[in-house]
Formats: sequence, C-alpha cells, structure tokens
Amino acid sequence: MAITRRDLLHKMTTGGAAVAAGGAVSTVALAGIAHAEEEGKLPPQAVGMLYDATRCIGCKTCVVACTQANGLTPDTRRDPLHQAPADLNNRTKTIIKLYKPVDGKEEFSYVKQQCMHCIDPACAAACMFGGLKKDVKTGIVSWNGKLCVGCRYCEIACPYNVPKFRWEGFNPEIVKCEFCKDRLAKGLEPACTAVCPKKAVIFGPRQQLLDEAKRRIADNPGKYYQERVFGEHEAGGTQVLYLSHVPFDKIGLPTLGDESIPHKYLKWQKRLYSYLIVPVGLYAALVGTIRKNWKSHEEHMQHEEKTTGLRAQL
Amino acid sequence: MSQTWQRDVPVFNVPIWTRPFKLFCGLGALGLLLVVYREIVGLGPASGMNDAYAWGIWKTFNTMVLTGLGSGAFAIGIAAWLFRREKLHVVMRTAILTSFLAYAFGLAMLGVDVGRPWNFYWFFFPWHWNLHSPLLEVAVCMTVYASLPLFLENIPAVLEYFYDQRKDLRPTIEKLEKVIVKGFPWVVSLAYVLPAMHQSSLGALMLLGGTRVSPLWQTPFLPLLYVWAAAFLGFAFVTATLLFSGVIWNRPLDLDVLAELNSITTWLIGVWLVFRLVDLTVRGQIVAAFHADLNAFLFWLEIAFLVYAVWILRDAGSRRSPRAMFYGAALATIGGMLYRFDPTTTAFQPKPGAIYFPSVIELLISIGFMSIGIAIFIFAAKVLAILPAPSALWHTMEEYKSRQARVRPFGYKTGAGQYATGD
Amino acid sequence: MSEAKQQLTIAEHLEASGVSRRNFVQLCGMLMVSAPVGLALTKGNSVTKMAEMIGKTKRPSVIWLHFQDCTGCTETLLRTSTPDAASLILDVISLDYHETLMAASGAQAEAALQHAVEENAGKFVLVVEGSIPLKDDGAYLELGGKRGVNVLREVASKAAAVISIGSCASWGGVPSSDPNPTGAVGTDSVITDKPVVNLPGCPPNPYNLLAVVLEYVTMGKLPALDEYGRPKFAYDRVIHENCPRRAHFDAGRFAASFGDEGHRKGWCLYKLGCKGPVTHAACATRHFNETPGVWPIGIGAPCVGCTEKGVVWKLATFETVPIHQVTPPDNYPPVYASNGAFKVGAATLVGAVAGAVAGAAVMGSKRLPEPAAAAASGSEAPKSGSKTPLGD
Repeated sequence: MAITRRDLLHKMTTGGAAVAAGGAVSTVALAGIAHAEEEGKLPPQAVGMLYDATRCIGCKTCVVACTQANGLTPDTRRDPLHQAPADLNNRTKTIIKLYKPVDGKEEFSYVKQQCMHCIDPACAAACMFGGLKKDVKTGIVSWNGKLCVGCRYCEIACPYNVPKFRWEGFNPEIVKCEFCKDRLAKGLEPACTAVCPKKAVIFGPRQQLLDEAKRRIADNPGKYYQERVFGEHEAGGTQVLYLSHVPFDKIGLPTLGDESIPHKYLKWQKRLYSYLIVPVGLYAALVGTIRKNWKSHEEHMQHEEKTTGLRAQL
Repeated sequence: MSQTWQRDVPVFNVPIWTRPFKLFCGLGALGLLLVVYREIVGLGPASGMNDAYAWGIWKTFNTMVLTGLGSGAFAIGIAAWLFRREKLHVVMRTAILTSFLAYAFGLAMLGVDVGRPWNFYWFFFPWHWNLHSPLLEVAVCMTVYASLPLFLENIPAVLEYFYDQRKDLRPTIEKLEKVIVKGFPWVVSLAYVLPAMHQSSLGALMLLGGTRVSPLWQTPFLPLLYVWAAAFLGFAFVTATLLFSGVIWNRPLDLDVLAELNSITTWLIGVWLVFRLVDLTVRGQIVAAFHADLNAFLFWLEIAFLVYAVWILRDAGSRRSPRAMFYGAALATIGGMLYRFDPTTTAFQPKPGAIYFPSVIELLISIGFMSIGIAIFIFAAKVLAILPAPSALWHTMEEYKSRQARVRPFGYKTGAGQYATGD
Repeated sequence: MSEAKQQLTIAEHLEASGVSRRNFVQLCGMLMVSAPVGLALTKGNSVTKMAEMIGKTKRPSVIWLHFQDCTGCTETLLRTSTPDAASLILDVISLDYHETLMAASGAQAEAALQHAVEENAGKFVLVVEGSIPLKDDGAYLELGGKRGVNVLREVASKAAAVISIGSCASWGGVPSSDPNPTGAVGTDSVITDKPVVNLPGCPPNPYNLLAVVLEYVTMGKLPALDEYGRPKFAYDRVIHENCPRRAHFDAGRFAASFGDEGHRKGWCLYKLGCKGPVTHAACATRHFNETPGVWPIGIGAPCVGCTEKGVVWKLATFETVPIHQVTPPDNYPPVYASNGAFKVGAATLVGAVAGAVAGAAVMGSKRLPEPAAAAASGSEAPKSGSKTPLGD
C-alpha cells in the first residue's frame, strides 16, 4: 500500500513534533544533569599502596601473608605440594609474577598484582545491584555477597582483569583484594605491606604515597620508566600505585587514557536515561500515534470480517 | 502462484508428534538435565568459561544474539503500527511468537548463567539498582518487556483458540477482547520503547570492554548499531521463518507481503552498513580491516554476508522468487548474528594468551534451550492461528476438522457402555 | 652423693671439679644455639651473662628413672662428640639416681633411690625415660618387686618438676605401637596432677633436656609448652620449615630413589617418604653430636618422624605425608597466564549443528519455487509432488 502525501506529511509532523519535544526535553535534562556527571572523586581518607618493582626481590612472603590474613586455602590446584597459582584466582588475592625478557638484554622485573582500587572503578559501575562498592571514606572497593548475583560483568569491565569468580560449586563468590579492611579497622597495616622484607610494597594515605613516589623519581633520574607513577592518572587514577624500571605494559599494566572507564563509556547511557525523560517522551509520542493508526486498522479489520465472514484476529 | 495472506491459520494437516518435533523435545530435555548438572557442580565444570572470558555463549549468544533475532515484534510492529504498513499486520503473530520465545529462553538462559541467582530478588527493590550498569538495564527492561507487553501481545491467539473450542467461555472472551482493544495502544507502545532501550543497552555492555574490544567493533555508537541490527535481524529472521515454515508445511506464500518485508530489510541493512563503515572511517580504524588477522577476516565475513544479502534481496521481490527471498533473509540473519556476537567474544581480548571455546555441555544446554523454543513454536503453529494464509485456508481447515470428526473409526464410549459413532 | 656437694652453686662446683671456665662458657654457647628463643634463660642475654646466671644457681638434683626404655635417651646424653660436654653436663647437674650410670645395684640401688628422693624431696627434677605399661594393673614392669607405675607415682609425688625424655616417656614410643600389648603410655597419662615436660625424640637432643632443666632451676619456671607438653622453643616448628634441603623442595628437586643422582646431590627426600612436614622437632637446626650435618636428613635418610605419635611406627616408611602449611614454590608465573583451550570435541559439535542447520535451510530452500519454473509450468501449484490442501 503506497503512502499518500497526506500520510507522509502527517507522519512527518507527528514524528517531527515528537522529536522536537524530545529534543527540548533532553536538552533541559542534559543541562540539568551535566553537573552531576563528574568523574569519581578521590575519597577524603583514601588509603593507598605503593609498589616499587625495583625493590621487590620476589620472595612471595606477601602472597603467603595475604592467604593467611584472608583465611584463604592456599591454591594447590596446579601443584599439590606448593601454593602455585598461575594468576589471581578465587583463592589468590595477590600474586608475584616475573617478567623475563626474551632476549636477556633488557632487565627482568617482578610484579605484584592485586586490585588497583580505582578512584572511579569500572567494576562498581558495572555491578547490577551494587555488590561491588567503593567505600566513601577509604576508597576501598569491596564485595558484598548479599547483593551479588554472580553475573561476572565486573570481570569483563575491569581493565586489569582483577575480580575472579569461583567456578566450582554452587555457592560461588567474586574474590579480590579488599585492602585487608578488617586489619585496617584494628589499626594494622594490610598483611602484604606488613610482611614485605624490602618495603617494596608500602601502605599509607594515597596522597602521601604519591608524593613519596615522585620524590623517588626525582632523586633517581633515569631509574624509573618514563619518570612517572602508574596509577596517578590512569583511567581516572588508582589507589594502588606502581613504580617500575621496565615498561608498564611488560609487567601487565595496560595502557589507559586519563578518563575513567565509566565516564568515558557510559556517559551517553547516563544522559539518555536520566530521569527516564527520553523513554517516557518516546512512549507518549508512540501512544499518540498508534491510537490514531489503530482507528484505520480497525476499519480495515471490519472490512475483512465482512468479506471473509470470519472473526477478525487481534 | 502467490496467494494473498489475509489471516492467520493453524497448521492443521500435520500431526504434532513428528520426528523433528520429537528431536527438538529430546534435545530440550537433554538441555534441561544438563542444567541440573550445572547447578550442582557450578559453572566451571559445566562450561568453557574461564577467568579471562567470564562470559560464555549463554550470555553472548543465547541472550545477546538470539534476542536480536527475536526483535521481530519490535521492528515489524513499528513498521506496521507506526508507519502504517497494513500488509504486515498479518505476519505480526508469527513475529510476536518468535520474539516471545527468543526472549523467554534468552532470559531463562541468563538465569542459568548467573552464579548466585538467589540474589535476583533485589530486582524488586529499585532503590538497590545500580542505574549506571547497562546489564541491569538489560535485565530489568527485558524481563518487564517479555513478561508484560510481549506476553500480552501473544494472548489474542490463545483467546481465539479458546473461543473456537469452548463455546461456554465466549462471553468472557469477548469481554477480555474488548479490554485488549482498549489497552492496545498503551501496551504496544511499551512494546516498542522497551526493546529500543534494552537492545541498545545490549550494545552498551561491551562498551566497558574498552580498548580490549577490537576497534573494528568498539565505537561509542555500539548501542545504536546493536539496536539497528536488532531491527533488521527481526525482519530477516521472521521472513526466513515464514518462508521455511511455508515450505515444510505446504503453506501458500504471499509474495507481496514477503517483498515488502524484503524491501524494508534491504533498506535497514543498507543504512546500517553505511553508518557502520562511515563510523569506522571517521574513527580512523578502517586500516584495521586490512590486517591479516582473525578480526579482519570476521569483519569482512559480516560485511560480505550483509552485502550479499542486500544484493539478493534488492530484486527478489520484483523477480517474485521465494528462493532468493529465503537466501537473502538467511544471509542477513547470519551476518547480523555475527555482528552482534563478535565484539563479545572473538573481537574481545581481555589479555594476551587467553582464548575461549564453549564446552560440549555448554553447547548442549544452549542448543537445548533453542530446541525448546523451536518445539514450542512448532506446537503453537499447529494448535493456534499463528502463521499467515489466505482466508480460504481457514474454510478448508474447518472442513478438514469436521471430516476428521466424522471419519473417526471408533467414536467415544457413552455412559451406557456402548460405542457411538461421531455423528 | 654427699650433701655438701649439693649445697654448692654450679660455678663453685665446676671450679672445685677443675672444669675450665672456657669449657663452661662454651657449653652455655651450645645452649644458646639450642634455644635462642622461647627460654627466659637465653632471651636477650649474652653468653657471658647466661654463664653468670647459671653459675650462681644451686646445682640442681636430678633423679632419672627408667621404665620401658632402651636406654637410648641416656646414651644420647653421653654420646656427645666432645667428651668434656658429657661430663660437663654431669657436672652442671647433680645426677643423684641413674640406674645405668651409677655404680650401685640391687638393694643398694633401691636404698639409693629412697635416700635421694627423701633428701631432695620437693626440690629435685624427675627425668623419666621409657614408657609405663598400664595393662593388667601395670603387671608388665616391676622394679625391685614394685610395679613401675607405682614407682613413678611415688617418686613423682615428691618431685619439683617432671620431665619425660624421649618418645617413649613422652607418649608411649616403641612399646606403644600397635597392638600395644602392654598398654604402654607416656608419663603424662600417669602423672596428671603436675605439669610434665615432654621431650620426644628417638633419641631426643640432649641439649633440649639441659636447657629445660637449667631454665627451671635458674629462672624458677618451666619453659612455654605446647598442647602436648613439649617446650615450644624446640618443638614449635616442623622439620620442613627449617630444613636445609627446603630450597630443593621449593624448586621441585626430589630424590626419586636411594642412590640416584638426586639423592647423591642432596636433593629433597620428600618423595622417599620424609616425614619432615609433619614432625615437630628442632633437628633441622640443631643436628646431633655437635657435628654439623649429623642428623637423618643431613646424611640422606628421610626423617621418620620419631617425635610424633601417629607418625613414627604408624605411617609406612616410604609413605608421603601431606604438606599442611603450603608455601609458594621457587618459580614464577608469567605476567600473562594462558586461559582456556580449544576443544576439538566441542568444535566438532558446533560444526555438526551448524552443518545440520545449513543443510535443513538448503533443503528447504530447494523446495521453494523459482520464478522461471513457475512461469514454465504456468499457473500450476509449484510444489514438487506435494499435496496442498488448497485447491489453487
């Protein structure tokens, strides 16, 4: 059935009106919510960790201490005699890995991996019911089993591949470093920083650690990669900072821009759905149009009923 | 040769328990048994998911791809109701049923996939929703959509069945139908707003993959491309369904309606392709399409399927060729499915050295759920008036049914223990 | 044993005996090595200070009883490699009754015991060697006509402190191994009213005994004990934790059979059944006979767990034991671990299903009419051999 000019004009004006209305409303919404759209801010009592790869000797005492302090079972799945996880997993909240350059000309480096406690975490933005939440005072990102549905979106969203899911059994969890928050509550340091024999990983307020890191860079020109701290600005900044003498990507730290991941990728979602103005507007426009079209369809159906002698089908 | 489709008619001359139907039921039962196994042993042993690829085909295929195929109700509905393509009303029931089944089993698959489903009750506590999460939007919106407007759109066919079977219920049914007529615009508008929202949120899911999704797919317009792909997938899949069921159940084909579906499909794909390629070029990522790697290969495969589909479909209508229409629709479906699947798995590299391949159990559960959907479609098409046909077929059906009643060799036992004939 | 001797302090006695101060300080040094932590005597003190403290103490009276023993624990006290040390030990403590070492026998010996107990009542340290049989009212051991268990009870009632030396006295030892026909038990199953210090080992290290005795007499209290009555300074860690071959364990270098290359290179003996991971003892650091390397693992013999009830004479010699405190190995995972694998079976299934779907689609499409065929056959029903319910 061809569309008549009248139909077209009708459609365009209705459609145009709807779009214009929607546009007006959206602009207001955008303006109104623009201020609420800031990136995550550094919490007032933000804790931090500074890991200096040049000081780490790869003794793995932090791995053992972390396992004990968190009540985890040592991971003997790969090697029944030793605690030898291949990566962070549901029994390993921190791990020491070794970067060995292939040609032997570059320097090697150990690297301690654990949750970076990002300032604007992608995992917390992804979590459906807020199972992963960033503490408003200390900035620690921790997991709440009561709210988690096990959808594993946090695993997909984290740029550092940190949250790990327990794949066996019927009561799985998401496991990741939570800064030993129970120990912090008692006034102790996190287990890993407390046992490190070379003070390669240290604990303190994030700002202080950032200053310390910069001081080390200034005091040792040429020692640290790109004379900068990883985590100062990466993806909005992290509370676990890294200093390294080898390129960051070699020790598993991805190249990320300065914008936080939720802000960079989800801002249009936030804008479009803000206060549900756009969807409700669309709905209203649709109802209006379909009511009109329904009338002509009804006529069509009645005609069919008469000609075929059969009941019209809704 | 082409017959005008005027109303929907059940498939009445084919028994329900055919071999294919038994096969789908069997596969479905196997899938359900394996779900029990998965619930007991956990996700690890029952699937190929791992710490790098935390999402497997249950989410990425059954939910993210198949609900795209199930966007017929959304896309064809908009064409029929918003843009007043009257011809398409007659295929709406097919579209609505396939959509409902795709969504129901896509959501069921999501329920099987999550690790702690007992916490889903937070769904009913909106103040605990994390409104930033695209996955929450998908879960809430899809559930509301499938259980309210999409479900309600399927009711008229069921009511019609009971109207025929149970004369005593007719007054009630007529009352209900009046209610439906009254509420129709309100329900149906919801049925278009909600899919627009969650099909685009399905696209937004992989936005959080960031640079770990290949730049050939990763774009801020991923949500828009996903919802537009859902639109042409809905059209293409319903077209293919109509043609395939027409041919296996010997139903007459209405080439005018099918041509209309094709032309809209062609237009949708054309606009989509242009947008996709322009977006790729503007972002400066078109170079990646010429690397010699898997991503480039899959990209060109998608484009090839869709371009070839458009090529076939552009004159399938004017050539009056059902075979070309079917091929075009099938190719468009495959191309669209590839597009929606790739950014979640093949083009997603969370860290070097990680791969994902579904396990046999994972595949069987996925196939099982699809089979149940197909089995229900087959059953519904035979019992309810879903598939379109000329009105003459309705008359033929009534004749056929009364003939069946007359020629039954043994009637039913009367109370006196005598056998009576059907007369 | 004259009373006069027992009134002297240790320093006075040593001087009177002509033991050089140098030897005594050396002995104190050995004690320091034995028990660097866990003893008030050695904690924070220099060797000289220790020597001074010990020197001022009155020479302790020690009564040593034997029960179901092999006398190995006595031998361990004597078989020190420097003879001075043995006699030194005997000079530091006043061993007032010891059946193996004393000259008396028979009625004379019994009188000596009586005398020693009465003279030092409430002040002597009782050392028990050997297990005590309890079955059939303790009929299986009689000492001078008296049942062993009664002797123990009598003497222990007057003792200031009770020390069980060796595994037999600590928990039953050899005689208690299955089926334990005599009902052999350790001292602390008989003496329940006062603390009993257990020094298991077969044989135990003599310096543990000396350290406990001196701690008691110098500082006035027994060292901290674990839940089995063993002093923590010697028994709080398992052999595995301090083993000199631990680096081999961590690196995965094991001797697979006696005399093979790994065995000759001194690799870890875990796979040969070493019970180090479940045995609490200090042998790994202290060795024996004052000679470095002289201890079972040091000479290539896997530890049998001689201090532990439930390990020695219970587990098979070559049976491997679980590691309770697992630690990381001596290797490192790479920065990017590999995840997942391509599965041929699953890929086959995917191929099969895709093939089936494609096949069905192609077959179906073949039954769809082509316009040329329809045109050629006019306006007939286009299907190939199918009966449509429709007339046209």
